[in-house]
Amino acid sequence: MQVKPSGTLDEYLAPVTIEEAARALADGRASVLAGGTDLMLQAANGRTPYRGRLVNIRRIAELRGAAITGGRVRIGALTTVTDILNHAELAKAVPVLRQTADKFASNQIRNMATIGGNICNASPAGDMIIPLLALEAEVELASWDGAKIRTREVALEKFFTGPGRTVMERGELLTAVSFAVPEAGHRVRFAKSGPRPALEISTVSAAFAATCKDGVTTNVRIVLGAVAPTPIRARSAEALMEGAECSGDLAARAAKAAAGEISPIDDVRASAWYRTHLTEVFVRRLIEDVCHG
Amino acid sequence: MADKVQLLTSIEKKTLIGKRVPKPDSRDKAIGRTRYINDMKLPGMLHGKILHAGVPHARIKRIDVSKARDLPGVHAVLTADDIPEFIFGMARDNRPLKGGKVRCVRDEIAAVAAESEAICDAALALIEVEFEALPAVFDPAEAAKDDAPRIHEGKDDNFNLKYHFGSGDVKAAEATSDVVIDETFNVHYVTHVCMGTSCAIADFDPDGKLTIYSQTQYPYNFKMDLAPALGMHAGDIRVIQPPIGGAFGSKLDVYPYEPVCVLLARATQRPVKLMFSREEEFINAPTRQPVRIHLRAGAKKDGTLTFRDIKCLLNNGAYTSWGPTVPYVMMRTFSSLFRVPDVNIDCQSVYTNNPYAGSFRGYGNVQATYALAIHTDIMAEALGMSFVDLALKNAQVSGEVTPQGAVLNECALAECLTLAADKTDFRAKEKEYAALRDAPGRFKRGIGMAASIHNAGGAKIHKSDGCGTILKLDDYARCTVITGASEIGQGIDAVLSQIISEELGIPMRDITIVNNDSAIAPWDVGVHASRTTFIAGNGAQRAARKARVQILAAASRQSNVPPEALDLREGWVVQEDGGVPVIKIDRILRQMHFSDEPELVMVSDYYEPPSEPEGKDHVGDMSAAYSHAVHVAEVEVDTETGEVKVLKITSAQDVGRIINELGLEAQIEGGIIMGLGYAISEELIIENGQVRNPNFRDYKLITSPEVPELDLHFIESHSSTGPMGAKGIAELPTIVIAPAVANAVHNAIGIRFHNPPMTPEKVARAIWEKNSSRAAAE
Ligand SMILES: Cc1cc2nc3c(=O)[nH]c(=O)nc-3n(C[C@H](O)[C@H](O)[C@H](O)COP(=O)(O)OP(=O)(O)OC[C@H]3O[C@@H](n4cnc5c(N)ncnc54)[C@H](O)[C@@H]3O)c2cc1C
Repeated sequence: MQVKPSGTLDEYLAPVTIEEAARALADGRASVLAGGTDLMLQAANGRTPYRGRLVNIRRIAELRGAAITGGRVRIGALTTVTDILNHAELAKAVPVLRQTADKFASNQIRNMATIGGNICNASPAGDMIIPLLALEAEVELASWDGAKIRTREVALEKFFTGPGRTVMERGELLTAVSFAVPEAGHRVRFAKSGPRPALEISTVSAAFAATCKDGVTTNVRIVLGAVAPTPIRARSAEALMEGAECSGDLAARAAKAAAGEISPIDDVRASAWYRTHLTEVFVRRLIEDVCHG
Repeated sequence: MADKVQLLTSIEKKTLIGKRVPKPDSRDKAIGRTRYINDMKLPGMLHGKILHAGVPHARIKRIDVSKARDLPGVHAVLTADDIPEFIFGMARDNRPLKGGKVRCVRDEIAAVAAESEAICDAALALIEVEFEALPAVFDPAEAAKDDAPRIHEGKDDNFNLKYHFGSGDVKAAEATSDVVIDETFNVHYVTHVCMGTSCAIADFDPDGKLTIYSQTQYPYNFKMDLAPALGMHAGDIRVIQPPIGGAFGSKLDVYPYEPVCVLLARATQRPVKLMFSREEEFINAPTRQPVRIHLRAGAKKDGTLTFRDIKCLLNNGAYTSWGPTVPYVMMRTFSSLFRVPDVNIDCQSVYTNNPYAGSFRGYGNVQATYALAIHTDIMAEALGMSFVDLALKNAQVSGEVTPQGAVLNECALAECLTLAADKTDFRAKEKEYAALRDAPGRFKRGIGMAASIHNAGGAKIHKSDGCGTILKLDDYARCTVITGASEIGQGIDAVLSQIISEELGIPMRDITIVNNDSAIAPWDVGVHASRTTFIAGNGAQRAARKARVQILAAASRQSNVPPEALDLREGWVVQEDGGVPVIKIDRILRQMHFSDEPELVMVSDYYEPPSEPEGKDHVGDMSAAYSHAVHVAEVEVDTETGEVKVLKITSAQDVGRIINELGLEAQIEGGIIMGLGYAISEELIIENGQVRNPNFRDYKLITSPEVPELDLHFIESHSSTGPMGAKGIAELPTIVIAPAVANAVHNAIGIRFHNPPMTPEKVARAIWEKNSSRAAAE
């Protein structure tokens, strides 16, 4: 008798092109390995057993790197969190990505963790997802249809269906995430629970984006992480703020509204009470920071 | 010839004592060359793994290991049915493998030895167990009730260990008090989180004698404690101690995985290595003892303390390791921290279905000081005094004897208090921050002080608190010191080398310390109780002095200078006065060796400190020295998120005398960081007997960026009993820090936390509740 605990691997492939990767994934019997900082842990603890074939996509050079062209930012799936921290042009155009990356894990993990992995892992606490939702990003998916590469684009907001679940089909590869460069004056900020400055899985995270001009707030987006089965947009809080005068107790009212839109859980990390409390604190602070800061 | 040239110069007395000396093992550890026990492999070695119960209280209805036994690569599967009823543990309440019923999630019910860890895991998964759940009890107060489920059959109730100390008349003293403060504290579970997880390797020789590679911090009594768990004679056990990744008290007892590892080796007749995964470590390694402390104490208007009346309830958990014995040290602090004549203390441990605690840096004093130093702050507030002035008013002076009989020779408590207050402008800041508590603003600053006392010259909890040393010098003046004192990362190798170098005038690099094999090194009680520098240091110094006398006698015979007029410096015998060289040390050693009356320099010493065990009444001068530390914490509280940011710690500690300043700093810094975790972030969350956060994600250690500014001050009181005047120092920093932070948080926001850790949620919730009740009142 052969010892074979569930989820062991029979095959390992390391494609160097998107096409090779798409073909290797086509039968839906493969696990994708990017940085491995989620995958390896989840395979080891049995949460997501390996599917038999491991496809290491890290050698696909075209999947790594970020560029700004024609008013759009496009970040390849294999771009690491460290890459994002070090990307001067990106940091200038969308400072919130560096701000978020700076609160992400530790140096060692940042060097391995990819933005594609963060998105595909679909944790409600995935940090990079939060500002990307505030930037109304889209993801690009590629697959092999038997004869050629098939691609499609999905709005990030429509991508997540539950904790660890997405609309991605088995065999699909996430190739990039992209979004329009924010217009001048449109500011985006991120906040995450502590107390550690790093190496902290978010108990609550939040992003706020808005343009505050002549005392009026427009283009408002409020995104909340770790307080629902997926990251969410707080739509009614956004509606309350859209076109409103950013003065008086608006921030407090919007924060309260946002806290009413979440469905937090009690777990070892925090109670639902604290998640609600922090949501309100973060949203209020972010609004004050963006609109009055 | 060379000697003659040297004769023209004089050799100055130089000293290494008080200098900054790197630990000899630090370079190898930094570059990854150290081979820890966890890295070791013996030829033919198998791996062992344990099946833990995972349920807190249940009858084992059926256990079937046949499928596991049939798995290829499996060499042995053991359950309680396969071994005699070996009983071990200090209360004789534990077994290596449990049969019949399980009493906590840790309970070891089967064990596998196989070719690889993966096969072990596969085999464990094939073991079929059927439990019948029994009513369980997790709270010691509940477990103390008559109708509570019994944890151990054959016992009338769940009570385990009881302690009482009384001195004076607390009732009468209470009547004379102007202020009485009555508070209850609940201190929590934390665990040591050693970087190297628990590990043992067992290897039998054909004669049935055992060699165990172990992380133990007490190799000699370890043999004695391990033997009954194996039905062996302690003399047939040899303990080898490879480098380990931390102990902090967690390796001061025998835990079931150790005899299980040995039993697997016996069953397979192969070496077996058993090592915990990180998750197993969080669930199955000992914890710090949680305690409920009820503290009632009084003072007169002028701040004179009158009495203390204390009751402690300890959650014993399912079995008895050192955890429920921490009242020995807790009582010392309650009766000795500041002058208080009338004291009554009752402590009681009660079995529950929780995991159980061991010893942990501070050994009860972390718990006791948390309660007492906060209580003192409350008392000071009630009296309209500053903590520091209340403490100074009641600080003992050198020579005072405490109610439990501790003789405070060289007492520097007042100096510690004064220095810590002066360095931080304590009184002014305390007032200033308290006044700003209700001012607008999200961030609030606070400052807080705490003090404590701890044994600093060993602790005579066994009949002997001694340490053996064997010292030899070879023909090249290279020195080997064989000492009972284990090196578990704390840096004793450096300290002993410094002391010997000082006495023998030879460089540190020429000194080799051997201390990792019970078949070679002489007896020592173990690395615990802040004792090793003090006890082993004294032993090494005494051994070196014996060697020195022998060398000087020979040099004197040869040079006709009286031995009292000679000294050993930098490889030379010199005339003490003026440092005139007489003869090189290696040369005189060779002359002694190859003479008509040949002699080798090889000496031995057994040092027993001048302390006494406590009597049944808990009175006795159980340590050869005592020491104090005072910490001041400065914090900033985010009143919205509840985050407590510790900005700065100022520490003033009586260290007796600095031997290795680098090692001293490292111990104090590490101790403070460990204590900060206890204060604000670390908690092993145990609910219904289950560990809820067995991982680094949710068990939150302090990480480097959170380490505050540390301002360390050492007070040298020159102990009359310590080596070169040194005192033991390693536990106090962990002991004092948490209440200093709690007092600072109170200073900032006016809220007390009697139940650490002060996590963001706990603090935010308390602030929110305070604001809500204030709003309701308005
Ligand atoms: C110590 C530690 C700290 C951490 N801290 C944080 C933190 O602060 N914030 C945070 O958000 N996360 C954190 N994480 C989680 C993790 O690092 C991130 O989610 C990371 O971005 C995952 O990226 P990866 O490249 O390692 O993904 P992988 O582990 O390689 O993959 C994750 C999942 O996505 C799939 N996948 C990856 N890439 C693709 C692709 N291109 N197409 C299709 N499927 C793909 C994989 O199959 C797998 O299911 C931490 C993890 C650890 C171990």
